[in-house]
Amino acid sequence: MSDFLDTLSVLILLSSFVLMANKRIKSYIETFRIQSLLIALVAGIMGVDSLLTEGRFDILVVCLLIIILKVIYIPALLHRTYVNVKYKVEKDFILNIPILIIVCCGLVVFSYFTLATVDGLNESIFNIQFVNSVSVIWIGLFFMISRKKAIGQIIGFLVIENGLYITAMLSTQGMPFIVDLGISIDLLTAVMIMGLMVFRINEKFDSIDTDQLNNLKG
Amino acid sequence: MELFLRNLFLASVLLYLFGAVISLILMKRQKACNIIANFICIAASALGAAASVIKILWVNGPIGIFGFKSAIPFVSLDMKVDNLSAIFLLALSILVLCVSIYSIGYISHYIGKRNIGLFNFLYTTFILSMIFVLTSANAVFFYISWEAMSLLSYFLVVFESEKEKNQRAGRLYIIMTHLATAFLLIGFMIIYSYTKSFDLFGSSAGIPEAARNIIFILLLIGFGTKAGVIPLHIWLPYAHPAAPSNVSALMSGIMIKTAIYGLIRFLLCYLGIEHTWWGVVILVLGIASAVLGVAYALMEHNIKRLLAFHSVENIGIILIGLGVCFIALAQNNELVGGLALTAALLHTFNHTLFKGGLFLGAGSIQYAAHTKDIEKLGGLIKKMPVTALFVLCFSLAISAIVPFNGFISEWLTYQSLFANIIPGQAGLNLISILAVAALGLTGALAAACFVKLFGISFLGLPRSNQALKAKEVPVTMNIGMGILAALCLIVGLFPFTILRLIDQVAIDLVGSSILGQLHGGFLIVYYPLKVSANSISPLALLIVLIALILISLLVIRIIGGKYIERKYGTWDCGFEALNARMQYSATGFSKPIKIVFKILFRPTRKTTFEGDWLYHPETIEYTTSFTSVFEEYLYYPMIRTIKQFSQRTKFRIQTGSIHNYLLYIFIMVLALMLYNRFV
Repeated sequence: MSDFLDTLSVLILLSSFVLMANKRIKSYIETFRIQSLLIALVAGIMGVDSLLTEGRFDILVVCLLIIILKVIYIPALLHRTYVNVKYKVEKDFILNIPILIIVCCGLVVFSYFTLATVDGLNESIFNIQFVNSVSVIWIGLFFMISRKKAIGQIIGFLVIENGLYITAMLSTQGMPFIVDLGISIDLLTAVMIMGLMVFRINEKFDSIDTDQLNNLKG
Repeated sequence: MELFLRNLFLASVLLYLFGAVISLILMKRQKACNIIANFICIAASALGAAASVIKILWVNGPIGIFGFKSAIPFVSLDMKVDNLSAIFLLALSILVLCVSIYSIGYISHYIGKRNIGLFNFLYTTFILSMIFVLTSANAVFFYISWEAMSLLSYFLVVFESEKEKNQRAGRLYIIMTHLATAFLLIGFMIIYSYTKSFDLFGSSAGIPEAARNIIFILLLIGFGTKAGVIPLHIWLPYAHPAAPSNVSALMSGIMIKTAIYGLIRFLLCYLGIEHTWWGVVILVLGIASAVLGVAYALMEHNIKRLLAFHSVENIGIILIGLGVCFIALAQNNELVGGLALTAALLHTFNHTLFKGGLFLGAGSIQYAAHTKDIEKLGGLIKKMPVTALFVLCFSLAISAIVPFNGFISEWLTYQSLFANIIPGQAGLNLISILAVAALGLTGALAAACFVKLFGISFLGLPRSNQALKAKEVPVTMNIGMGILAALCLIVGLFPFTILRLIDQVAIDLVGSSILGQLHGGFLIVYYPLKVSANSISPLALLIVLIALILISLLVIRIIGGKYIERKYGTWDCGFEALNARMQYSATGFSKPIKIVFKILFRPTRKTTFEGDWLYHPETIEYTTSFTSVFEEYLYYPMIRTIKQFSQRTKFRIQTGSIHNYLLYIFIMVLALMLYNRFV
């Protein structure tokens, strides 16, 4: 099983690199959908495993929840937001793509470097999953910084959340069900609120470019 | 006995709590609320005073009143009373007793205009928080009570919150008091980091030398701000006039003394005195506060601001005593240490009595004449003779005139300063001698100041319509002041009553008894001190004073013969009747002193006149003002610098760009990861 999980964690990391390389808002949403699908897959594998060995089915429920929420509902919601906001200038990153990718590589190395000495992570198998999933968090945060548009920030936030989620899941072999449920509902609320805020920003500034929020400063 | 005492203290605390609750319940029925809440406070304070006296006289060692452990780490509510706490509790209880009686009348002018239930709730809980400050046995509980005390007093200061001036005063007060609390908190945390305990009655053996010095400085700044030591005094002259008078009486009477309590409790009891320079610093601060405090008081014509500056002065005198005590203890001179501590504590107690009384008097004047400006008063002695008598008593007491209590404690302070002059320590002797001179100057200036206060506001003719219409205040207000005035006289004539109590504290803290050095009975007190052969007897002095006056009158009568009284108008050249404008004004009275201390006040004046010729003007207007050196040269530049700095950095750091903010978070998280890697 751990081979599957290793592969999947690498794929998730890769998907965040892909996300970083994306140029269009529409493709951010699709990449996020793929990443969420991969996470659902991880949950699915762990769920089947726990069902077979311990007879627990709650991780499978979590897997289902992820599919409904992160693969179907939230991307659709973001898509609708994107369509409804009229003002569209597609290119919106601050640095150019190659530099961003190089920085992301640096982040992966950095997380490997910082996590190498953490107790209990030094066994070869666990370490790589952990490093990958923590790197996803950094890349998500960096993605938020590198994009100008508000939707980019939302996606970045969701990727950070994905990274935290996968880190937690891989290191605890499935969190308690109630925690999962709580996180999911928080996330849903956050995304809905942020979607609304994007509309408000658009209304006020005729743009969803967050650089213009400077004008709000007193 | 101990059980009885514990119940007595508990009953007092519970009564205050009960008073707080009941004043909230009766919020709608203002009159009943005011009377009931104040009566509960009177009962509670009477219990508290009795319990404190019993504690000091008949029970040895600290007694725990209650102790609650809580689930929150470090927070445990421990109330413990030892002799030091008890003497402060006694002062608190006596003052609360009188102020509560006074409040029954005083607060009645708020009825229908203000939320009296809320006021009484704040008033009661404020008293309660001070009791907890004085009795808490661990630093965390002390800190919580201290903070509660600061916040509750802030709410009381801004009770008349619609006035712009009061809001500013409250803001200044809360900023200063929070700065002070921050210093205290750092001090407590350093203590904890070495001893792993917040127990105030524990040992401080684990604290190294350097840390002790740092703790001393931190606590001195923290407590000094609360006490109003120059140059941290700037909140006092704003906060006291803003608060209702009964609250200013409590604030000036006992709240600023909790800082003295804190200094004694933490430095003397807990840390122990090892360095002479601690005492020297406190002594020098005390001298500065005493002289500058009274000098500024002289320039004030707002009666409550004037009294606030006198609080600074008296805190200075207390600190002089405390400083001498610390110096003597650092040199293992227990006898002088005990004498100085007794002087400081006695002056604390006395100041509670007369300054509380003076603020109540100011409240009465305000109640009757609706003004705090003494230039608008005058002739009040005919309208409100009882108040005038009491204010005169308090004025004599604070000016250290013989039959009153202020004299005794200042005399003891002088004695301790003289006793501290020991051959072979040139620098210290110089400071002591300077302190004696400064104390003398302070006393003289204080007397001048109270001649001004009493003379301008009570004597002569009314200077305004408000003063003309003034009436005697309700009888409860006069009873409250009367008790304090009587106590001032009793302590002045029979100082042994209170010295016996304070001596127990000195034995506890310093290990030397002063009482044995002072001989005397109740009628004529006579002190031959071994350390310096000075003796004094207040009662004998009083008798001599009266005898002298009578003899001189007699002599004049014998030499001059019978004098004939002629009724004439004076000073009017026979043209017009006397009017209020012919009198001395407060500005005029203090002018000579203003000229002497020109360098300190930096006065400015502006004369505008209309008419053809300077010596024959039609109207003439004279305005004078003085600069407050500390505000002008210390606080304003500091505030300006901070303001400029924060404005500049605001545009550099707070750019308003979301990406920048995210970048800060990003860098911070990465830095934390790196920190984790290397630690």
